[in-house]
Amino acid sequence: MMYSPDQLLPLLVLIPLVGGLALSLLPNQVVPAMAFVWTVVTLAVSVVVACLAYQPIDGNPAVTFLSSGDLFFESFIPWVDGFGLSFSFGLDAISLWLVLLTTALMPLVMLGSFSAIKHRVKEYYTWLLLLEAAMIGTFVATDLIFFYICFEFTLVPLFFLIGIFGSTQRLKAAKVFFLYTFTGSMLTFAGVLYVAWFNASQTGLWSFEIAQLARAAQAMSLEQQTWVLLALLAGFAVKVPLFPVHTWLPLAHTEAPTGGSVILAGVLLKLGTYGLLRFALPMTPIATVVYAPTIATFAVVGILYTALICWVQKDVKKLIAYSSVSHLGFCVLGMFALNTIGVSAAVMYMINHGLSTGALFLCIGMIYERFHTREMARMGGLARVMPIWAFFMVFFSLASVGLPGLNGFVGEFLALLGAFMARDVLGVGYAVAAGFGMILAAIYILYMVGKVVFGPVLIPEHDDQHQPPYPSGHTHGKHAHVRDLNAREIMTLTPLAVGCLLLGLFPTPLLSSLKPAVDKLVEPARLVLAGRPHGEATIDEVTTIIFIDPTVQHGHPQDPDAARHGH
Amino acid sequence: MDDRAIDIARLIPWLPALSAVVCGVCCTSRKLRVLAAPVCIAAIAAAFVLTLKAYPHVFDDHGHGVFHVSWLFTWIRVGGFTADMSYYLDPLTMVMLIVVTGVGTLVAIYAAGYMAGDRGYARFFAAVSLFIFAMTTLVMADNLVLLYLGWEGVGLCSYLLIGFYYDKPSAVAAAKKAFIVNRIGDLGFALGIFLTYHQFATVQFSELFQILATQPSEASTPVQIIPFLLMLGAFGKSAQLPLYVWLPDAMEGPTPVSALIHAATMVTAGVYMIARLFPLFELSPYALPTVAIVGTATALFAATIAMCQYDIKRIYAYSTISQLGYMFLGLGVASTTAAVFHLLTHAFFKALLFLTAGSVMHSLAGQLDLRHMSGMRRKMPVTCWLMFFGCLALAGFPFTAGFYSKDMILADTLQKGLTGHSTLYTVLAVAGLFVAFLTAFYTFRLWFRVFMGPTKYEMGQEHGHGADHHPDGVSSDIKVEHHHEPHEVNWLMNAPLLVLAAGALLAGYLAHHWIGDMIQGSSARPLRQAIGAHGAAHHATLFGMDLHLAMMYISSVIAVVGIATAAYFHWLNRGAADRVAAKWAGLVRVLANKYYVDELNDSVIVRPLRFIGYLCFVFDRLIIDGLVMTVGFVPRMFGLALRPAQRGALQGYGIGMATGTAVVVLLVLMVYF
Repeated sequence: MMYSPDQLLPLLVLIPLVGGLALSLLPNQVVPAMAFVWTVVTLAVSVVVACLAYQPIDGNPAVTFLSSGDLFFESFIPWVDGFGLSFSFGLDAISLWLVLLTTALMPLVMLGSFSAIKHRVKEYYTWLLLLEAAMIGTFVATDLIFFYICFEFTLVPLFFLIGIFGSTQRLKAAKVFFLYTFTGSMLTFAGVLYVAWFNASQTGLWSFEIAQLARAAQAMSLEQQTWVLLALLAGFAVKVPLFPVHTWLPLAHTEAPTGGSVILAGVLLKLGTYGLLRFALPMTPIATVVYAPTIATFAVVGILYTALICWVQKDVKKLIAYSSVSHLGFCVLGMFALNTIGVSAAVMYMINHGLSTGALFLCIGMIYERFHTREMARMGGLARVMPIWAFFMVFFSLASVGLPGLNGFVGEFLALLGAFMARDVLGVGYAVAAGFGMILAAIYILYMVGKVVFGPVLIPEHDDQHQPPYPSGHTHGKHAHVRDLNAREIMTLTPLAVGCLLLGLFPTPLLSSLKPAVDKLVEPARLVLAGRPHGEATIDEVTTIIFIDPTVQHGHPQDPDAARHGH
Repeated sequence: MDDRAIDIARLIPWLPALSAVVCGVCCTSRKLRVLAAPVCIAAIAAAFVLTLKAYPHVFDDHGHGVFHVSWLFTWIRVGGFTADMSYYLDPLTMVMLIVVTGVGTLVAIYAAGYMAGDRGYARFFAAVSLFIFAMTTLVMADNLVLLYLGWEGVGLCSYLLIGFYYDKPSAVAAAKKAFIVNRIGDLGFALGIFLTYHQFATVQFSELFQILATQPSEASTPVQIIPFLLMLGAFGKSAQLPLYVWLPDAMEGPTPVSALIHAATMVTAGVYMIARLFPLFELSPYALPTVAIVGTATALFAATIAMCQYDIKRIYAYSTISQLGYMFLGLGVASTTAAVFHLLTHAFFKALLFLTAGSVMHSLAGQLDLRHMSGMRRKMPVTCWLMFFGCLALAGFPFTAGFYSKDMILADTLQKGLTGHSTLYTVLAVAGLFVAFLTAFYTFRLWFRVFMGPTKYEMGQEHGHGADHHPDGVSSDIKVEHHHEPHEVNWLMNAPLLVLAAGALLAGYLAHHWIGDMIQGSSARPLRQAIGAHGAAHHATLFGMDLHLAMMYISSVIAVVGIATAAYFHWLNRGAADRVAAKWAGLVRVLANKYYVDELNDSVIVRPLRFIGYLCFVFDRLIIDGLVMTVGFVPRMFGLALRPAQRGALQGYGIGMATGTAVVVLLVLMVYF
């Protein structure tokens, strides 16, 4: 029993990092295969980490690393000692699941890219692996600077992936994406540096440990917290993206190569929600409570507004891209319900969206590879010629639309339930309004499915004369030249489908593992809520109660869910 | 816990689920395709057998109904919220399971013949198996969320099967419409679930009913809202006003699907839901009257449309909507027994009617228009008389199944009106009787048109039974016969119809005591408004006799008159019918166009919403993105001014990185020193 799981987390970052850099030493032909192997190795390590996390401690099955909600597998690599800087690693259930999402998606992205990327192969896979390292780093970092480095570094590989391998408007998309998100996150960095300065001024010691900063920041006044929250939102809300700072996303998603879109939708957007969860909730609880209705309003408006936009899209990839904005609205709504159900739902929503939307982008990519178009008007009835593809497309559409029994439902239902139950923060109106998003989602997804998958067969004549991707060149055999998914493509999509089904039917292992960590993150906000008198409290009252009245601070949070447990 | 005999019932949904997977695998290979039907039939039949095996266990030693909760696995548990994969088994569940698996088996056997040669053969049976999984889950669910799973699950299968012939744009549109209209109702259902949890802190039936039994009769306002939200879901699924619009279009699906899903089982889910949650509906003094009014209005509305349609399946579709209206009327007058009884008998006779209509369609190559067929009894004698029995039951001819159940609903309504001196219920009862007349008329209008009179027919456009669905392989030569001559369908298809016909004729007489015992032993038993069919309050009289007896005479007369009228106009003197139609041309046109509701919905809801969508898109591109671009333009101007020589894709990135680093360094220095 003398294994040391603590070293596994640095390993998780190092494998793709070193692996990616090492690709440049290899001959071009083996690069895709090696990249795939690296991601599989990373996946294996993360699965080992997950198994260890779920393993009972001291033989008691109720006690695992996950059951306390504390960080586990912590390790430090000192960096600038005198300044409190270090590369520190640690996990809780939330980051564990997001790491698993990342490492699980990566091999599929690699598999899905084999036939799409024909030139500058080495660069493509190197950037993907570096991106993976950065994303994992963001999730496992417990140190602010380390987090921020990883968070920002994700932009670089994506910038190149979009700019080099994207479609016609790739340069514009890459620039807009980079500048937009970079500008936002600079403000975020300023905000957290301010928190670090605040901490140093209070304790006299410089620390960049996120947990310590969160503890210290709670002592800030509402005004200070508000500024910090705004700074956090500047970076993270752009990343999510929350309405109205979402306009970079349709462009970037649509122009990115398939692999880039999958990662962008699957993991990158979650950096935003993860950041909000990890920083906003624990660091600025008062401001969060005060502004939760405002943020949730933006989320709800975003859900409905972008859902309507989806419905009038002509480009199928853009439709899915806009749908991400709508979906992430549910995630943010659940998060700012500030109760166990809502926040757990938000985390689950991140995983679900990663699987189903990632898969939809893969499906669209497979179509694009065949026909070199994404215009819905130019294709139709593909179920007739590509039945296997049609099965997956319909399956993931249903997962995306929240069909019970598949994963999307659990997150969406619980996010709405969380908002509905959060009488002290959001309440019924938010859930009802967002609920209409369920109807609109059905409208736009079925509109897309009805055009592309069903209906009379319409095969786009691809304009690309130089590289006909089909072995049989004759065109008069009507649909003879369209081939359905091959084994590799089926292998790419099947794990995602299985994941959707498993999480749809057995979400509880995930949800219950999240609970301790979620409760810990929500606790500061719950304390604020518990101290808030019924009815509308003025902002001064809230601050006074929290910081003057010590009994409130140590009292039990009035968690309505916990109270209900007795039933 | 695991040794309880009733726990075998847990397998009921999962056998069809397994069959769905197997049939799905069968889709992938032409050789395996033929296996789909036997697998599907076996799975549903096995579920039926399991239902019968579980049946005795929902009664205690004295024959009173009891409930069992059979837990299968943990589904959703978070923060005190529990919704598990567990099943609630009581006599109401058993009635529904018998209908679903029983009729399901018969329809699957019929479909094995009907769908033969279709290239989507295996896909069809996969979807049907999945449907049975979802439907059995729906009726067995122990909590609202699992019920919701079944609810949306049947909606999905309905979507897949309406759009089965997905080459046809009309089928795809109909499928989409069904799903979206149902989603509107489902939003109400979901909000109802939220509010239930909000108010009672549980969504599990066993706990909920326990709490409700001890509730004071004056419920709080939020509690009173719950039934109205749930009602929306029921109206969507069971095609009631104003959410009925999807069901007529749903006839685009293969006919066995229309029989199973859009007549016998899925569309009755709303009736089941209200019956199951009856204690919740009793909490509001306005909920049940609303159900009754909507039900009656729908019954009347749909029956009038059915009078002037020419498409056989659409007539039956409107008839289904109308009959579902009766069931809601029954629920609304707290006569859950009558409502579920009508659900049961309707399942038999409407499935029979649809399947016989399918036989006609099958032999006439897709022809469904009443104006293009006549005197078919000589060509298809068995189908002719099978459909006749179904029509009798639908028309409420004395001693057929429909007669007993419809009579019970109307008698209970009238009784509520007379004993309670309530004008509302008396009016509803009279309206119900009028609908009974219309029903008898339009039912036999169809039958006399199709089977009586001189033999004339035009073959339909379809080569098989779906547009462009060329049968492949062996069966194609059988199909060729269809082009020449209408013929009787084979006995694989007729045998299940015989069983259904027996049910349509006898189920009413055989089951009318049984169903009362079943409902009284379940959660559908009215607690507060004990004026149910077999309650104590049997004092109302009409014309000096017991009200139920009087109602039997009245409705018998109405049925016979309706049939006779239909016989005159549509068999003996068809010219007269045309003259009457010409005289009332305006009204006929409105009815034939279904009151223009689809057009209205399109111009009032769909188009404006889509227009808003375009507006949002334009706003997004021009205003929101425009603002961002303007903001982004300012530093770029500086950049251009400062470094006119620099070009290249990485410029933005470089500037950003440099600025970023500078800011970091600056901040650190400021803080440190």
